[in-house]
Amino acid sequence: MAHEMTKKQALVRMIGFGIASAAVYGTIFQHANAFTELCSRGGIYAAMPIAAVFLVSYVHGGFASNLWTALGINAKSPAKTVQATQTKRPEVRATVNA
Amino acid sequence: MDVALDSLKFIDLTTSSIIFLFIVGFIGGLVSGFIGSGGAFVLTPGMMSLGVPGTVAVASNMCHKFPKALVGAIKRFRYGQVDIKLGLVMAASAGIGVQVGIKIQNMILAAWGQAGSNLYVSLSFVAVLVVVGSYVFYDAMKSRNNEGKDTTPALALKLQKINLWPMIHFKTANVRISLWFTIPVGFATGMLAATIAVGGFIGVPGMIYVMGVGGLVSSASELVIAFVMGLGGTINWAMHGMVDIRLTLIILAGSLLGVQLGAIGTTLVREVMIKIVMGSIMLIVAVSRALATPKYLVQLGLMDIAPEKVAILDKTSFVIMCAALTLGAVIILGSMLKARRAMARQAQEAYGQV
Repeated sequence: MAHEMTKKQALVRMIGFGIASAAVYGTIFQHANAFTELCSRGGIYAAMPIAAVFLVSYVHGGFASNLWTALGINAKSPAKTVQATQTKRPEVRATVNA
Repeated sequence: MDVALDSLKFIDLTTSSIIFLFIVGFIGGLVSGFIGSGGAFVLTPGMMSLGVPGTVAVASNMCHKFPKALVGAIKRFRYGQVDIKLGLVMAASAGIGVQVGIKIQNMILAAWGQAGSNLYVSLSFVAVLVVVGSYVFYDAMKSRNNEGKDTTPALALKLQKINLWPMIHFKTANVRISLWFTIPVGFATGMLAATIAVGGFIGVPGMIYVMGVGGLVSSASELVIAFVMGLGGTINWAMHGMVDIRLTLIILAGSLLGVQLGAIGTTLVREVMIKIVMGSIMLIVAVSRALATPKYLVQLGLMDIAPEKVAILDKTSFVIMCAALTLGAVIILGSMLKARRAMARQAQEAYGQV
């Protein structure tokens, strides 16, 4: 069964991912021109922007996901259907009441 | 180390342009997370209005689109809404559609120049969005009166009964249909993606009305198609050095927040809301693109209007386009809020009964 995260757990994870996201954005924008120039060289350098967006998707995506959970905005879990019990009932036996 | 950027290709970023891109990214992400596509049609002209060259705007937009679609698809997969097989089968034929779409674009560009190409794009927008958008909206209204219950469309039922080899079973979508009927839908999705950058406007309705897939699974699986096509397109653009990573990352910062909220929204509201949002956006965008056509007709010498009037029409067109996206976001957030209130009320009533 999927583990439901509490608001407190989400808050801790949000802070962790938030710091990582800020660090990634901070580093890239600190050297924005150099990084943009590197990403626009074409050829094999095409891997640079693709790798960057994958990294940002992970850290900033993790931050965003935990932010909504911490704010109490969660998906509605599908209605649970009641499963019929599989255990066999003891067979009814005829007994003689003495 | 400070490197000077090519000013013809890369704009200087200002605070207002950063805020604009972040907000449009957020709203675009919200709509994408909810209906499977959208946002791109505002982002590309939006970036161009900031002075970004067309090719860089398209490339940077595409580079933000595929990670956004990936995050949205993962989120909706966790909710059991994504049919990966359906998404991949559709993406394969969409890839061919993209190539054909690019070829047609190049032919038009060679024959009639940039104005001819722009006119073709606008007319495609208007034709597809009016026809498909009207039907989606009409069907949404019908379903709404029908207490939001989705029934399999008659055309899809007929096609599903035709046993034409190879038959494919899509487990999550709970649909068994011939591969041959999925190809035209995927192909048209790719063609539209290459033409107007929003393949989902035909992909999602195609999956619903031609293949008989529910709105929820269609919009979620569209994110898989968007990821595959977006990644392919990005590799192509990045190889030519056209991606402005700064713009991509700013948009992505907003859209990753939006796409997850949109995905959560799909679990809270009735399924018919997906059709309502999609139909509304498509019809308003059609009006916007219709207002943009006189500019290209003037450039081709097919119409004579004063330049001031053309400029007003152009600005109005862009404002209406932004309004379409904003309206979509308002409907999504409004219906989410309504659904949460109803849930809270139900919980309170249940508590009161105990």
